[in-house]
Amino acid sequence: MRETFNIRTQDRQHPRAGKKVTLPYVQVRIALIALILTVAFLVPQATGQTLTLSTAPGGIAIAGPAGAFTGSFGTMNALGVGTPSAGVTNIVLSNGTLYYTPYHLRTSALGGAARTASVTAYVSTNFAHPAAFTVESCPTSSPCNASGQYSVMSTSSATPTTIITSQANNVTSTAGLALFLPDNNGASQFTGTDSVRITFTITNLFNGNHKTVTLTLSATLQNAVQLTLGTAPGGATITPAADFNLNFGNVNALGIGPGAGLATTAVAGGNIYHTAYLLNPVFSAMTSTTGTIKVYVSTNFAHPALLILNDASATNGPYSAISTNAGAQTQITNAATDRSSITRYLGLFVSNVNGATAFNGSDTATLTFTLTVP
Amino acid sequence: MGAFAGTQAANVATVSPTLQISATIQKAVSLTLATGTTGGISHCAVAAGGGPPDYTMSFGNVDALGVNAGACNKFNPVTPGTTNAIYWTDYQLLPVYTSHTAFAGTTVTAQVTTDFAAPHNIFVVRSSTATSSTTPTLTTDFAAMSTGSADTIGAAGVASGTALTRFIGVAVTPANGATVLQGAQTATVTFTLTVL
Repeated sequence: MRETFNIRTQDRQHPRAGKKVTLPYVQVRIALIALILTVAFLVPQATGQTLTLSTAPGGIAIAGPAGAFTGSFGTMNALGVGTPSAGVTNIVLSNGTLYYTPYHLRTSALGGAARTASVTAYVSTNFAHPAAFTVESCPTSSPCNASGQYSVMSTSSATPTTIITSQANNVTSTAGLALFLPDNNGASQFTGTDSVRITFTITNLFNGNHKTVTLTLSATLQNAVQLTLGTAPGGATITPAADFNLNFGNVNALGIGPGAGLATTAVAGGNIYHTAYLLNPVFSAMTSTTGTIKVYVSTNFAHPALLILNDASATNGPYSAISTNAGAQTQITNAATDRSSITRYLGLFVSNVNGATAFNGSDTATLTFTLTVP
Repeated sequence: MGAFAGTQAANVATVSPTLQISATIQKAVSLTLATGTTGGISHCAVAAGGGPPDYTMSFGNVDALGVNAGACNKFNPVTPGTTNAIYWTDYQLLPVYTSHTAFAGTTVTAQVTTDFAAPHNIFVVRSSTATSSTTPTLTTDFAAMSTGSADTIGAAGVASGTALTRFIGVAVTPANGATVLQGAQTATVTFTLTVL
């Protein structure tokens, strides 16, 4: 083997001797050969195999110079409210939302058509707010379009997450990257932009050589609130219809024949038809862990003296008329917690009045509920 | 990403969903019976029957000579063996009606819809003046309740929520013969509240 080192005997200053020494040419040559052989046996060469990350159809844009790629998940929230940014799809879960994107991994320069490589990844620089974001990964062996196909990406270089088990030279495959956003209210709450760096390692399975590239992802997190109403067990049916609808059906002041899920209570001047219902508050990235729910009659019945909406905390009451004043709404609770349903009771007072002011027929009113989380 | 109408919103602290309430008011009527409360007399209990019958009332053991005391009050026959004995009580009717635009002509009627069997040696009676709430004192204060048509026992103008006191009983005739009724016998009276 021809030595190609372009080294000549030269003067070297010994770091600690403080005086000039001269090393013979042969001595230097032997030392370098030994060093190179030692390194070659201990550490596979970091040259040759190449991993290129790129944009997949339907995925976020991945750009940047080779070896230092970048991408953005855009604006997100833990409730999955709104349309995700281009290339991002969300899956709303029971404790947050998973935003995911497909991306391409191309393995090349493996040194031969028959050679293959594996790819692993780990979070090398985590989000500054790790309670607000979690990086999840889906391997190329999966469709990567369901939450169950994603798992938390390792944050350890010693135990990285496998992306590709084995892939041939000059082949491009698709994997999935995801950010899971939990509700994360309270002290660890965060809104704003944050970023994470993922280090990918391609390993040539023929010779063990490897190489790393990085992908820096950014994301902007917003807070979100949600309040839905639902049917309580045994209660009248609440249907979703701009936004929700509850039909008491045929009612009369004697409480005769209440509809399904309704009960009646005779009161002075008439009867109250009542039902249990559910309030389901959900909120994320809020400083407070509790919120306030209020309600008022935003559009009253056409016959407000004959039909009056009432609220109670128990099925047997006491029932109190719900405010018709937006400025002084009826408070249901000031301690609503995230994803904790509240059972409440809605009553419809039916007056027993006879005579000219009596009315037979249909009537409607609208209640507006407001969830506010500081 | 801004606020979204309805049930959820992002980048805000408040959300305000709406619930539309609908109902159809119907007019309603109710007529209930209860044990009388008139002072100075005994009261046969009006018991809920669970329907049908809606209510039951028993006069106990009765006879044409007035030998039995009955369950509440009695008038012995004026001429034993010739005229009838009457066992009677007061009772209450409670008419209630709601969401009626017209009600000035509201009435309550009563009719024997299932009479005691022939030869009718026992029959249902009510105050001679069917609408009377005056306590009877004589056998002649009673008259047979109609079986072919309804007797008006609450004249036009019956008010909602105001109880009416009326009197009802059974007359036992002194008839004898092979077919006369003996033992427990029942009849049914139908009361009707009409709001108009």
